Amino acid sequence: MSKSKTVDIVQKKDPVVVEDIQMTYRVGKVDVRAVRGVSLTVKAGEFVAIMGPSGCGKSTLLHVIGGLLRPTSGRIFIDGVDIASISDAERTEIRRRKMGFVFQRFNLLPTLTALDNIELARQIQGNGHVRNHQTTEEILGLLGIADKMHHKPSELSGGEQQRVAIARSVVSRPAILLADEPTGNLDTDNSQMVLQMLQDLNVKYGQTIVMITHDPEAASTASRIIEMRDGRILNRVQNLFYAMEQKRV
Amino acid sequence: MLKLICSNLFQRPTRTGVSILAVSLGVVLVLVSVGLSYGQLTDNANRMRRIGGDFMFQPPNASFFFALNSGTLPIRFREVINKVEGVQEATPVLAKFIGDKFHLIYGIDKESFARVNETLRFVSGRHFEAPNEAIIDTNYARSRHLKVGDRLELLNHPFTVVGVYEEGTASRVMIPLATLQELNGTPDKVTTFFIRAKEKRALDTVYQRLKERFKDYTITRTADLQEIMTANTPVFKQFVAAVVFISVAISFLIILLAMYTTITERTREIGILKSLGASRSFIVQLILRESLLICGAGVVLGFVLAAIAIKLILTAFPSMPVNITASWRLFAAGMALFGGILGALYPALKAAHLDPVKALGYE
Ligand SMILES: Nc1ncnc2c1ncn2[C@@H]1O[C@H](COP(=O)(O)OP(=O)(O)O)[C@@H](O)[C@H]1O
Ligand SMILES: [Mg+2]
Repeated sequence: MSKSKTVDIVQKKDPVVVEDIQMTYRVGKVDVRAVRGVSLTVKAGEFVAIMGPSGCGKSTLLHVIGGLLRPTSGRIFIDGVDIASISDAERTEIRRRKMGFVFQRFNLLPTLTALDNIELARQIQGNGHVRNHQTTEEILGLLGIADKMHHKPSELSGGEQQRVAIARSVVSRPAILLADEPTGNLDTDNSQMVLQMLQDLNVKYGQTIVMITHDPEAASTASRIIEMRDGRILNRVQNLFYAMEQKRV
Repeated sequence: MLKLICSNLFQRPTRTGVSILAVSLGVVLVLVSVGLSYGQLTDNANRMRRIGGDFMFQPPNASFFFALNSGTLPIRFREVINKVEGVQEATPVLAKFIGDKFHLIYGIDKESFARVNETLRFVSGRHFEAPNEAIIDTNYARSRHLKVGDRLELLNHPFTVVGVYEEGTASRVMIPLATLQELNGTPDKVTTFFIRAKEKRALDTVYQRLKERFKDYTITRTADLQEIMTANTPVFKQFVAAVVFISVAISFLIILLAMYTTITERTREIGILKSLGASRSFIVQLILRESLLICGAGVVLGFVLAAIAIKLILTAFPSMPVNITASWRLFAAGMALFGGILGALYPALKAAHLDPVKALGYE
C-alpha cells in the first residue's frame, strides 16, 4: 500500500517513468519481440544515453517513450500521464506539447528553408508559451547557422541540417528531447559539434535528453548510460562489465 | 501551413500545372456548354415572347426548337384561330434553320405581324415590300458588317437588306412568308402561329377556349416559354447534369490522382509532421487546402479560358447568344471545388492515419 504511494509520487515528479514495457511486432505469422520488459526512470534534467547493438530494440523503446508507438503491454508515464492507455489523439497531443525528436536522418522538410522548418514546428506546437523565449532567428544564431536560415535542407551540410533539426526540436521547449543516433550520419567534427550542442542544452537549460547511440564516445557525454541487449536493459553489474570490456578494447 | 502548401505545390510545377489545367477544363466545359445552350434557350424564349403573341400555336408534340420542325402546320388554321372568341389576331411564322450560318430566319406576314407586335423598331431603312427583300436586326448587322442596301444570300437566293431593326424581337433575319415558303418547298405551311388576345385580363379564358377548340395541338403561353424551355426541357436538364457530372468527375479524378501520388511521395514528410505533434486534422487540412488551392486556381483559369473560348465562338458565329449568369459561374466553381474536396478526402484520410514510425522510414 505505502509502497505504491511512493511510486505515485515518483511518477508525478519524473518526466519519464517506464514500467515493464513489452513491444511485439507481428511480421506475417512471426512475432518479433523487440522490447521484452523494460523499466526505467528518467529524472528531470538528466541526459541518458541508450547503447546496444543494432536490432536490440533501442529505437522501438524510444518511439514508445515518445508516444509514436503504443506498446503491447506496460505503462509509460510522461509527467505523470500514462500514455500507453490513452487514445491516439491524446498521445499526439502529448507529443505536440512535451516531445522533441532528433533523428539520424535529420528529417527536415525538404521544401522548406531552415527558418521555415523551425517556424512550422513552432506553429504546430502552438507558440503561446514560447513568446518570451528566443526568436527562431536567435536560436539559429546561437547554433551558428544564422547565415544559412534561408537555405533549404539540400543546400546544407549534414552537420548543419542536424543543427537545424535540434533547433527545431527544442523551439517549443519540450519536456523531453529524444534523439535516435543523432550523430550516426555525421563525420567526427560534426558529431562533436552536435554532441556539444546537446550537452549545452542539458547543462545550460536543464533540458532532459534521452539519446540512442552506437558510439561510446558519444555516450560518454551523457550523465547516465543504459545498455540494452535483446530487448532488455542490462543490469548495473553487466553494465560495469561492459564498460570494462570497452576500455580493454 | 500556407508556406508548406505553397512550397509543395511549387516543388512539382508540372503536376500542379497539369492539375490546375484539368480542373479548369472541367470549369470551361460547364461554362461554355451551359452558357451556349442556356443562352440559346433564354435568348430564343425572350425574342419569341417579344413578338407580342400571348400564345403560341404548334402542331401536336411540336418542339420549341424550330430547327427541328419547319413548316408542318397548314396556313388555313389562321382563319379558324381568328374566329375563336377573345382572339384578336394570329400571325403565322415559318422558321427555317440555316445550317451554314447557324441561325434561324423567320418568314413573316408583315401586316398581321404588325398587329400582334409592338416592339419592332427600325434603326435604319424600312420594312420589306418586295419578295426578295430582307430585314435584319442590329446584332446581325453589326456582326456581319451589313447595312441597308447590302446584298445578303440566304438559301442560295439573293436578298437585299432594306431595314435594320433593334435586336431582341423575333429572329435575327426576317423575309416575307411567301418567299420562305417557296424556298423551303412548303407552300401554304407554317411553323407556328403567334396569337394575340384581345384583353390581357381574359388570357386564362382564351387559353381554355383554344385548348378546347384544338385538343391535340400544342398551345403555349409565351410568358411561360423561358421557364418551359429551361426547366421543363428534359434534354436541357439531362445535358446540364451530364456536363456537370463530367466536370465534377474530372476534378475528382485529377485531385485524387495528384494527391494520392503526393502523399505517397511525401510519406516521410507526413511522418515528420506527426513526430512534431501534428494532429490528424492538421494533416487532413493540409491535403484539403492544397487541393482547394489547385481547384481554386483551376476555377480562375477556367473562367479565363471560358471567356476566351466564348470570344472565339462568337468570332466564328457572331449571332450566337451566350448567357453565362453569375449563378452558373458560382455553380461551376462550386462543383469544381466539390469534386476536388471529394477527390482529396481519401488521400487526406489515408495520410492522416499513416503510422508515424513507418512513415519515418523505420521498418
Ligand atoms: N515496424 C516493425 N515491424 C517489424 N519488426 C520491427 C519493426 N521495427 C523494428 N522491428 C524489429 O524489432 C527489433 C528491434 O528494432 P529496433 O528497435 O529498430 O532496434 P535498434 O534501434 O536497437 O536497432 C529488430 O529485430 C527489428 O527488426
Ligand atoms: Mg535504431
